[in-house]
Amino acid sequence: MINDYIHAGIALLIFPGGLFALATGLLFKGMDRIAVARLQRRVGPPVLQPVFDIIKLSTKEILIPESANDAIFKLAPMMGLMGSLVCAALVPIAGVWKGIPGAGDIFVLLYLFSLPALAFMFGGSSSSSPFGAIGFSREMVIMFAYEIPLLATLLAVAVRADWSLSLDGIIAYQTANGPFLLDPVMIPAFLAYLLFIPGTMGAGLFDIPEAEEEVIEGPVLEYSGPLLALFNLMSAVKLMVVLSLGVALFFPLLLPGGIWVNLPFHLVKCLVLMLTAVSLFRASTGRLRIDQAFIFFLKYPSSLAYVSLLGAFLLR
Amino acid sequence: MHKYLKQFVHKSPWLYRINAGSCNGCDVELATTALIPRYDVERLGCKYCGSPRHADIVLISGPLTTRVKERVLRVYEEIPHPKVTVAVGICPISGGVFRDSYSIEGPMDRYIPIDVNVPGCPPRPQAIMEGILKACEIWKKQIMEVA
Repeated sequence: MINDYIHAGIALLIFPGGLFALATGLLFKGMDRIAVARLQRRVGPPVLQPVFDIIKLSTKEILIPESANDAIFKLAPMMGLMGSLVCAALVPIAGVWKGIPGAGDIFVLLYLFSLPALAFMFGGSSSSSPFGAIGFSREMVIMFAYEIPLLATLLAVAVRADWSLSLDGIIAYQTANGPFLLDPVMIPAFLAYLLFIPGTMGAGLFDIPEAEEEVIEGPVLEYSGPLLALFNLMSAVKLMVVLSLGVALFFPLLLPGGIWVNLPFHLVKCLVLMLTAVSLFRASTGRLRIDQAFIFFLKYPSSLAYVSLLGAFLLR
Repeated sequence: MHKYLKQFVHKSPWLYRINAGSCNGCDVELATTALIPRYDVERLGCKYCGSPRHADIVLISGPLTTRVKERVLRVYEEIPHPKVTVAVGICPISGGVFRDSYSIEGPMDRYIPIDVNVPGCPPRPQAIMEGILKACEIWKKQIMEVA
Protein backbone atom coordinates (compact mmCIF):
# COMPACT_ATOMS: atom_id res chain seq x y z
CA MET A 1 0.00 0.00 0.00
CA ILE A 2 2.74 2.44 1.03
CA ASN A 3 4.66 1.27 -2.00
CA ASP A 4 1.77 2.24 -4.23
CA TYR A 5 1.78 5.76 -2.83
CA ILE A 6 5.52 6.14 -3.39
CA HIS A 7 5.02 4.80 -6.89
CA ALA A 8 2.27 7.34 -7.58
CA GLY A 9 4.33 10.15 -6.03
CA ILE A 10 7.28 9.42 -8.28
CA ALA A 11 4.93 9.27 -11.27
CA LEU A 12 3.49 12.68 -10.43
CA LEU A 13 6.72 14.47 -9.59
CA ILE A 14 9.52 12.93 -11.62
CA PHE A 15 8.64 10.38 -14.29
CA PRO A 16 6.57 10.29 -16.50
CA GLY A 17 4.77 13.33 -15.08
CA GLY A 18 6.58 16.15 -13.32
CA LEU A 19 10.12 16.93 -14.33
CA PHE A 20 10.26 14.53 -17.26
CA ALA A 21 7.07 15.87 -18.84
CA LEU A 22 8.17 19.49 -18.30
CA ALA A 23 11.61 18.89 -19.81
CA THR A 24 10.43 16.92 -22.83
CA GLY A 25 7.46 19.23 -23.36
CA LEU A 26 9.65 22.34 -23.48
CA LEU A 27 12.15 20.58 -25.73
CA PHE A 28 9.35 19.52 -28.08
CA LYS A 29 7.98 23.07 -28.15
CA GLY A 30 11.44 24.27 -29.20
CA MET A 31 11.66 21.65 -31.92
CA ASP A 32 8.21 22.66 -33.13
CA ARG A 33 9.33 26.27 -33.49
CA ILE A 34 12.46 25.22 -35.36
CA ALA A 35 10.46 22.92 -37.65
CA VAL A 36 8.01 25.69 -38.53
CA ALA A 37 10.90 28.10 -39.17
CA ARG A 38 12.60 25.58 -41.47
CA LEU A 39 9.35 25.04 -43.37
CA GLN A 40 9.28 28.82 -43.95
CA ARG A 41 12.97 28.77 -44.98
CA ARG A 42 14.20 30.47 -41.85
CA VAL A 43 16.80 29.44 -39.30
CA GLY A 44 14.53 29.56 -36.29
CA PRO A 45 15.26 29.99 -32.59
CA PRO A 46 17.55 27.75 -30.54
CA VAL A 47 15.99 24.47 -29.32
CA LEU A 48 16.01 25.75 -25.76
CA GLN A 49 14.10 28.93 -26.64
CA PRO A 50 10.97 27.94 -24.63
CA VAL A 51 13.23 27.46 -21.59
CA PHE A 52 14.78 30.90 -22.11
CA ASP A 53 11.28 32.37 -22.38
CA ILE A 54 10.33 30.81 -19.05
CA ILE A 55 13.52 32.11 -17.39
CA LYS A 56 12.91 35.61 -18.69
CA LEU A 57 9.23 35.62 -17.75
CA SER A 58 10.05 34.57 -14.21
CA THR A 59 12.07 37.78 -13.73
CA LYS A 60 9.41 40.16 -15.02
CA GLU A 61 6.85 41.90 -12.86
CA ILE A 62 3.31 40.58 -12.38
CA LEU A 63 0.61 43.08 -13.31
CA ILE A 64 -2.94 42.35 -12.20
CA PRO A 65 -5.79 44.50 -13.53
CA GLU A 66 -7.66 46.42 -10.83
CA SER A 67 -11.03 45.04 -11.86
CA ALA A 68 -9.81 41.44 -12.12
CA ASN A 69 -10.82 38.73 -9.66
CA ASP A 70 -7.49 38.35 -7.86
CA ALA A 71 -7.76 34.84 -6.44
CA ILE A 72 -9.07 33.15 -9.59
CA PHE A 73 -6.68 35.15 -11.75
CA LYS A 74 -3.71 33.74 -9.82
CA LEU A 75 -5.13 30.24 -9.31
CA ALA A 76 -6.11 29.54 -12.91
CA PRO A 77 -2.58 28.93 -14.33
CA MET A 78 -1.63 26.77 -11.35
CA MET A 79 -4.78 24.69 -11.73
CA GLY A 80 -4.09 24.18 -15.42
CA LEU A 81 -0.48 23.16 -14.84
CA MET A 82 -1.45 20.68 -12.13
CA GLY A 83 -4.21 19.20 -14.28
CA SER A 84 -1.85 18.62 -17.17
CA LEU A 85 0.84 17.17 -14.86
CA VAL A 86 -1.64 14.66 -13.44
CA CYS A 87 -2.63 13.73 -16.99
CA ALA A 88 1.04 13.20 -17.84
CA ALA A 89 1.43 10.85 -14.87
CA LEU A 90 -1.57 8.76 -15.98
CA VAL A 91 -0.60 8.07 -19.58
CA PRO A 92 1.46 4.88 -19.80
CA ILE A 93 4.50 4.53 -22.05
CA ALA A 94 4.69 1.17 -23.80
CA GLY A 95 7.48 -1.01 -22.46
CA VAL A 96 8.58 1.64 -19.95
CA TRP A 97 5.80 2.61 -17.61
CA LYS A 98 2.50 0.87 -16.94
CA GLY A 99 0.66 3.77 -15.37
CA ILE A 100 -0.28 4.21 -11.73
CA PRO A 101 -1.86 0.89 -10.66
CA GLY A 102 -5.59 1.13 -10.12
CA ALA A 103 -5.83 4.73 -11.34
CA GLY A 104 -6.61 6.40 -14.60
CA ASP A 105 -8.76 4.75 -17.25
CA ILE A 106 -9.63 6.67 -20.39
CA PHE A 107 -12.64 8.39 -18.81
CA VAL A 108 -10.56 9.88 -16.01
CA LEU A 109 -8.20 11.16 -18.68
CA LEU A 110 -11.09 12.62 -20.64
CA TYR A 111 -12.15 14.62 -17.60
CA LEU A 112 -8.64 15.74 -16.65
CA PHE A 113 -7.99 16.74 -20.26
CA SER A 114 -10.42 19.58 -19.95
CA LEU A 115 -8.59 21.11 -16.96
CA PRO A 116 -6.03 23.09 -19.01
CA ALA A 117 -8.83 24.39 -21.23
CA LEU A 118 -10.85 25.26 -18.13
CA ALA A 119 -7.82 27.09 -16.74
CA PHE A 120 -7.71 29.21 -19.89
CA MET A 121 -11.40 29.97 -19.47
CA PHE A 122 -11.11 30.92 -15.81
CA GLY A 123 -8.05 33.05 -16.51
CA GLY A 124 -9.70 34.80 -19.42
CA SER A 125 -12.98 35.45 -17.68
CA SER A 126 -11.44 36.59 -14.38
CA SER A 127 -9.13 39.09 -16.11
CA SER A 128 -12.11 41.42 -16.72
CA SER A 129 -10.82 42.23 -20.19
CA PRO A 130 -13.34 42.04 -23.04
CA PHE A 131 -10.76 40.25 -25.17
CA GLY A 132 -10.29 37.72 -22.38
CA ALA A 133 -14.04 37.17 -22.36
CA ILE A 134 -14.12 36.61 -26.12
CA GLY A 135 -11.21 34.20 -25.78
CA PHE A 136 -13.12 32.43 -23.01
CA SER A 137 -16.20 31.91 -25.15
CA ARG A 138 -14.12 30.75 -28.12
CA GLU A 139 -12.17 28.29 -25.97
CA MET A 140 -15.42 26.89 -24.62
CA VAL A 141 -16.96 26.44 -28.06
CA ILE A 142 -13.90 24.75 -29.50
CA MET A 143 -13.60 22.51 -26.45
CA PHE A 144 -17.17 21.26 -26.90
CA ALA A 145 -16.41 20.70 -30.56
CA TYR A 146 -13.21 18.66 -30.19
CA GLU A 147 -14.37 16.59 -27.24
CA ILE A 148 -16.99 14.82 -29.34
CA PRO A 149 -14.50 13.24 -31.79
CA LEU A 150 -12.12 12.60 -28.88
CA LEU A 151 -14.77 10.67 -26.98
CA ALA A 152 -15.74 8.70 -30.07
CA THR A 153 -12.09 7.91 -30.80
CA LEU A 154 -11.41 6.72 -27.26
CA LEU A 155 -14.54 4.56 -27.33
CA ALA A 156 -13.61 3.08 -30.70
CA VAL A 157 -10.15 2.16 -29.41
CA ALA A 158 -11.62 0.72 -26.21
CA VAL A 159 -14.17 -1.40 -28.09
CA ARG A 160 -11.57 -2.61 -30.56
CA ALA A 161 -9.27 -3.57 -27.68
CA ASP A 162 -11.89 -5.97 -26.34
CA TRP A 163 -13.68 -3.48 -24.11
CA SER A 164 -10.56 -2.50 -22.26
CA LEU A 165 -11.06 0.87 -20.61
CA SER A 166 -7.59 1.06 -19.09
CA LEU A 167 -4.81 2.43 -21.26
CA ASP A 168 -2.50 -0.32 -20.05
CA GLY A 169 -4.99 -2.93 -21.26
CA ILE A 170 -5.22 -1.18 -24.65
CA ILE A 171 -1.43 -1.27 -24.97
CA ALA A 172 -1.32 -4.93 -23.93
CA TYR A 173 -3.97 -5.81 -26.56
CA GLN A 174 -2.02 -4.04 -29.29
CA THR A 175 1.27 -5.67 -28.25
CA ALA A 176 -0.44 -9.03 -28.71
CA ASN A 177 -2.46 -8.27 -31.87
CA GLY A 178 -0.55 -5.56 -33.73
CA PRO A 179 -0.88 -1.77 -33.46
CA PHE A 180 -4.17 -0.09 -34.40
CA LEU A 181 -2.39 2.22 -36.84
CA LEU A 182 -2.05 -0.78 -39.21
CA ASP A 183 -5.64 -1.88 -38.63
CA PRO A 184 -7.91 -0.65 -41.47
CA VAL A 185 -10.90 -0.32 -39.15
CA MET A 186 -9.03 2.06 -36.85
CA ILE A 187 -7.39 4.31 -39.45
CA PRO A 188 -10.36 6.77 -39.53
CA ALA A 189 -10.13 7.07 -35.74
CA PHE A 190 -6.42 7.80 -36.06
CA LEU A 191 -7.16 10.55 -38.60
CA ALA A 192 -9.73 11.98 -36.21
CA TYR A 193 -7.11 12.00 -33.46
CA LEU A 194 -4.65 13.70 -35.83
CA LEU A 195 -7.18 16.52 -36.26
CA PHE A 196 -7.94 16.62 -32.54
CA ILE A 197 -4.28 17.36 -31.68
CA PRO A 198 -4.09 20.79 -33.36
CA GLY A 199 -7.62 21.48 -32.11
CA THR A 200 -6.66 21.10 -28.48
CA MET A 201 -3.22 22.71 -28.91
CA GLY A 202 -4.69 25.70 -30.77
CA ALA A 203 -2.49 25.33 -33.86
CA GLY A 204 -3.08 26.30 -37.47
CA LEU A 205 -6.76 26.22 -38.40
CA PHE A 206 -7.76 26.13 -34.74
CA ASP A 207 -5.59 28.93 -33.34
CA ILE A 208 -8.85 30.67 -32.52
CA PRO A 209 -9.11 31.25 -28.73
CA GLU A 210 -5.60 32.75 -28.57
CA ALA A 211 -5.63 34.49 -31.94
CA GLU A 212 -3.03 37.25 -31.69
CA GLU A 213 -4.36 39.43 -34.47
CA GLU A 214 -8.02 39.15 -33.52
CA VAL A 215 -8.34 38.95 -29.75
CA ILE A 216 -4.70 39.82 -28.84
CA GLU A 217 -3.98 36.41 -27.29
CA GLY A 218 -7.42 36.18 -25.68
CA PRO A 219 -7.36 34.51 -22.26
CA VAL A 220 -3.65 35.15 -21.55
CA LEU A 221 -3.90 38.80 -22.61
CA GLU A 222 -3.65 40.23 -19.09
CA TYR A 223 -1.12 37.73 -17.77
CA SER A 224 2.48 38.79 -17.37
CA GLY A 225 5.68 37.48 -15.81
CA PRO A 226 5.66 34.23 -13.77
CA LEU A 227 1.92 33.63 -14.22
CA LEU A 228 2.35 33.65 -18.00
CA ALA A 229 5.32 31.30 -17.56
CA LEU A 230 2.97 28.87 -15.77
CA PHE A 231 0.62 28.96 -18.77
CA ASN A 232 3.57 28.23 -21.07
CA LEU A 233 4.60 25.26 -18.91
CA MET A 234 1.01 24.04 -18.93
CA SER A 235 0.82 24.07 -22.67
CA ALA A 236 4.19 22.27 -22.96
CA VAL A 237 3.03 19.46 -20.65
CA LYS A 238 -0.31 19.29 -22.42
CA LEU A 239 1.47 18.85 -25.74
CA MET A 240 3.42 15.93 -24.27
CA VAL A 241 0.24 14.34 -22.88
CA VAL A 242 -1.62 14.59 -26.16
CA LEU A 243 1.29 13.07 -28.10
CA SER A 244 1.92 10.28 -25.55
CA LEU A 245 -1.75 9.41 -25.53
CA GLY A 246 -1.80 9.27 -29.33
CA VAL A 247 1.16 6.89 -29.33
CA ALA A 248 -0.42 4.76 -26.60
CA LEU A 249 -3.75 4.54 -28.41
CA PHE A 250 -2.53 3.79 -31.90
CA PHE A 251 1.12 2.78 -32.12
CA PRO A 252 2.56 1.33 -28.89
CA LEU A 253 5.00 -0.82 -30.87
CA LEU A 254 7.88 -2.25 -28.86
CA LEU A 255 11.47 -2.78 -29.90
CA PRO A 256 13.43 -5.70 -28.45
CA GLY A 257 15.48 -4.40 -25.57
CA GLY A 258 14.72 -2.77 -22.26
CA ILE A 259 13.67 0.65 -21.11
CA TRP A 260 16.69 2.40 -22.61
CA VAL A 261 15.69 1.36 -26.11
CA ASN A 262 11.95 1.88 -25.78
CA LEU A 263 11.97 5.27 -24.06
CA PRO A 264 13.90 7.01 -26.88
CA PHE A 265 11.75 5.06 -29.37
CA HIS A 266 8.63 6.42 -27.68
CA LEU A 267 10.00 9.98 -27.88
CA VAL A 268 10.80 9.53 -31.57
CA LYS A 269 7.21 8.39 -32.20
CA CYS A 270 5.92 11.43 -30.28
CA LEU A 271 8.20 13.69 -32.32
CA VAL A 272 6.95 12.32 -35.64
CA LEU A 273 3.38 12.75 -34.46
CA MET A 274 4.09 16.35 -33.40
CA LEU A 275 5.86 17.27 -36.64
CA THR A 276 2.87 16.11 -38.71
CA ALA A 277 -0.05 17.10 -36.52
CA VAL A 278 1.30 20.37 -35.09
CA SER A 279 4.29 21.79 -36.98
CA LEU A 280 3.35 20.95 -40.57
CA PHE A 281 -0.29 21.76 -39.86
CA ARG A 282 0.59 25.07 -38.23
CA ALA A 283 2.95 26.12 -41.02
CA SER A 284 0.56 25.26 -43.85
CA THR A 285 -2.86 26.45 -42.71
CA GLY A 286 -4.46 29.73 -41.70
CA ARG A 287 -7.08 30.38 -39.10
CA LEU A 288 -10.78 29.46 -39.31
CA ARG A 289 -13.64 31.42 -37.80
CA ILE A 290 -14.96 29.89 -34.61
CA ASP A 291 -18.28 28.83 -36.19
CA GLN A 292 -16.43 27.21 -39.10
CA ALA A 293 -14.17 25.33 -36.68
CA PHE A 294 -17.19 24.12 -34.69
CA ILE A 295 -18.88 22.79 -37.80
CA PHE A 296 -15.60 21.33 -39.06
CA PHE A 297 -15.14 19.27 -35.90
CA LEU A 298 -18.73 18.07 -35.94
CA LYS A 299 -18.52 17.08 -39.60
CA TYR A 300 -15.17 15.52 -40.36
CA PRO A 301 -13.29 14.24 -37.29
CA SER A 302 -16.54 13.15 -35.64
CA SER A 303 -17.76 11.18 -38.62
CA LEU A 304 -14.32 9.60 -39.06
CA ALA A 305 -14.31 8.53 -35.43
CA TYR A 306 -17.89 7.21 -35.69
CA VAL A 307 -16.93 5.11 -38.72
CA SER A 308 -14.24 3.47 -36.63
CA LEU A 309 -16.57 3.03 -33.69
CA LEU A 310 -19.16 1.36 -35.88
CA GLY A 311 -16.53 -0.82 -37.50
CA ALA A 312 -15.17 -1.85 -34.14
CA PHE A 313 -18.67 -2.83 -32.97
CA LEU A 314 -19.54 -4.79 -36.12
CA LEU A 315 -16.26 -6.70 -36.35
CA ARG A 316 -16.10 -7.82 -32.77
CA MET B 1 18.15 34.89 -9.24
CA HIS B 2 20.53 31.99 -9.57
CA LYS B 3 23.79 32.93 -11.30
CA TYR B 4 23.66 30.07 -13.75
CA LEU B 5 20.12 30.87 -14.89
CA LYS B 6 20.86 34.60 -15.02
CA GLN B 7 23.06 34.24 -18.09
CA PHE B 8 20.03 33.11 -20.14
CA VAL B 9 17.70 35.90 -19.06
CA HIS B 10 18.43 38.18 -22.00
CA LYS B 11 17.75 35.53 -24.63
CA SER B 12 14.06 36.14 -25.24
CA PRO B 13 13.24 39.75 -26.09
CA TRP B 14 9.61 39.83 -27.20
CA LEU B 15 8.51 42.48 -29.69
CA TYR B 16 5.35 44.53 -29.55
CA ARG B 17 4.12 46.92 -32.24
CA ILE B 18 2.27 50.17 -31.59
CA ASN B 19 0.79 52.03 -34.52
CA ALA B 20 0.59 55.70 -33.56
CA GLY B 21 -1.28 56.84 -36.65
CA SER B 22 1.17 55.44 -39.16
CA CYS B 23 0.37 55.29 -42.89
CA ASN B 24 0.90 51.49 -42.63
CA GLY B 25 4.10 51.57 -44.69
CA CYS B 26 6.41 50.90 -41.77
CA ASP B 27 3.92 48.38 -40.37
CA VAL B 28 4.04 46.42 -43.60
CA GLU B 29 7.82 46.44 -43.39
CA LEU B 30 7.66 45.18 -39.82
CA ALA B 31 5.01 42.57 -40.41
CA THR B 32 6.07 41.05 -43.69
CA THR B 33 9.74 41.63 -44.47
CA ALA B 34 11.94 43.12 -41.82
CA LEU B 35 11.64 40.86 -38.84
CA ILE B 36 10.24 37.42 -38.44
CA PRO B 37 8.76 36.27 -41.75
CA ARG B 38 11.74 36.98 -44.01
CA TYR B 39 14.92 37.98 -42.20
CA ASP B 40 14.14 35.94 -39.10
CA VAL B 41 15.05 37.74 -35.91
CA GLU B 42 13.35 34.76 -34.22
CA ARG B 43 16.84 33.29 -34.13
CA LEU B 44 17.64 35.89 -31.46
CA GLY B 45 14.68 34.64 -29.49
CA CYS B 46 12.39 37.45 -30.60
CA LYS B 47 8.70 36.83 -31.07
CA TYR B 48 5.78 39.12 -31.86
CA CYS B 49 3.39 39.20 -28.95
CA GLY B 50 -0.14 40.49 -29.21
CA SER B 51 -0.52 41.84 -25.69
CA PRO B 52 1.36 44.84 -24.25
CA ARG B 53 1.73 42.94 -20.98
CA HIS B 54 4.09 40.44 -22.63
CA ALA B 55 6.28 43.01 -24.35
CA ASP B 56 9.98 43.72 -23.87
CA ILE B 57 10.87 45.78 -26.94
CA VAL B 58 8.28 48.26 -28.21
CA LEU B 59 8.28 49.22 -31.88
CA ILE B 60 6.43 52.49 -32.48
CA SER B 61 5.53 53.68 -35.96
CA GLY B 62 3.57 56.77 -36.97
CA PRO B 63 3.66 60.48 -36.10
CA LEU B 64 1.41 60.35 -33.00
CA THR B 65 -1.83 61.88 -34.21
CA THR B 66 -4.10 63.83 -31.87
CA ARG B 67 -6.75 61.14 -31.94
CA VAL B 68 -4.45 58.27 -31.04
CA LYS B 69 -2.22 60.04 -28.50
CA GLU B 70 -4.11 59.12 -25.31
CA ARG B 71 -4.38 55.48 -26.37
CA VAL B 72 -0.72 55.17 -27.27
CA LEU B 73 0.38 56.63 -23.95
CA ARG B 74 -2.02 54.34 -22.10
CA VAL B 75 -0.83 51.20 -23.89
CA TYR B 76 2.75 52.29 -23.27
CA GLU B 77 2.05 52.59 -19.54
CA GLU B 78 0.64 49.05 -19.51
CA ILE B 79 3.93 47.50 -20.59
CA PRO B 80 5.85 46.04 -17.64
CA HIS B 81 9.43 47.13 -16.93
CA PRO B 82 12.10 46.74 -18.24
CA LYS B 83 11.14 47.95 -21.70
CA VAL B 84 13.05 49.44 -24.62
CA THR B 85 11.43 51.67 -27.23
CA VAL B 86 12.35 51.75 -30.91
CA ALA B 87 10.94 54.50 -33.17
CA VAL B 88 10.50 52.92 -36.62
CA GLY B 89 10.37 55.31 -39.58
CA ILE B 90 10.84 59.06 -39.77
CA CYS B 91 7.33 59.88 -38.51
CA PRO B 92 7.83 59.24 -34.78
CA ILE B 93 11.21 61.00 -34.96
CA SER B 94 10.24 64.28 -36.60
CA GLY B 95 6.76 63.92 -38.07
CA GLY B 96 8.08 63.11 -41.55
CA VAL B 97 5.79 64.21 -44.37
CA PHE B 98 3.09 65.01 -41.81
CA ARG B 99 5.26 67.53 -39.98
CA ASP B 100 3.53 70.78 -38.93
CA SER B 101 0.14 69.26 -39.63
CA TYR B 102 -2.68 70.47 -37.38
CA SER B 103 -3.48 66.92 -36.29
CA ILE B 104 0.03 65.80 -35.25
CA GLU B 105 1.12 65.85 -31.62
CA GLY B 106 4.63 64.43 -32.22
CA PRO B 107 7.54 64.13 -32.15
CA MET B 108 7.18 61.03 -30.05
CA ASP B 109 10.02 61.69 -27.60
CA ARG B 110 8.09 64.54 -26.06
CA TYR B 111 5.95 61.94 -24.35
CA ILE B 112 7.79 58.62 -24.41
CA PRO B 113 11.51 57.98 -23.87
CA ILE B 114 12.84 56.64 -27.19
CA ASP B 115 15.97 54.46 -27.00
CA VAL B 116 16.66 53.74 -30.67
CA ASN B 117 15.73 55.77 -33.76
CA VAL B 118 15.41 54.05 -37.15
CA PRO B 119 14.82 56.81 -39.74
CA GLY B 120 13.48 56.12 -43.25
CA CYS B 121 10.19 56.27 -45.10
CA PRO B 122 9.89 53.36 -44.74
CA PRO B 123 13.29 52.24 -43.42
CA ARG B 124 15.08 49.39 -45.16
CA PRO B 125 14.61 45.99 -43.49
CA GLN B 126 18.33 45.88 -42.71
CA ALA B 127 18.06 49.21 -40.89
CA ILE B 128 15.12 47.97 -38.83
CA MET B 129 17.06 44.84 -37.95
CA GLU B 130 20.05 46.89 -36.83
CA GLY B 131 17.72 48.97 -34.69
CA ILE B 132 16.33 45.80 -33.11
CA LEU B 133 19.85 44.52 -32.42
CA LYS B 134 20.76 47.78 -30.67
CA ALA B 135 17.53 47.66 -28.69
CA CYS B 136 18.33 44.07 -27.69
CA GLU B 137 21.68 45.21 -26.28
CA ILE B 138 20.09 48.00 -24.26
CA TRP B 139 17.40 45.63 -23.03
CA LYS B 140 20.03 43.06 -22.07
CA LYS B 141 21.71 45.58 -19.76
CA GLN B 142 18.38 46.51 -18.20
CA ILE B 143 17.11 42.99 -17.60
CA MET B 144 20.45 41.84 -16.19
CA GLU B 145 20.14 44.57 -13.58
CA VAL B 146 16.61 43.49 -12.67
CA ALA B 147 17.35 39.75 -12.55
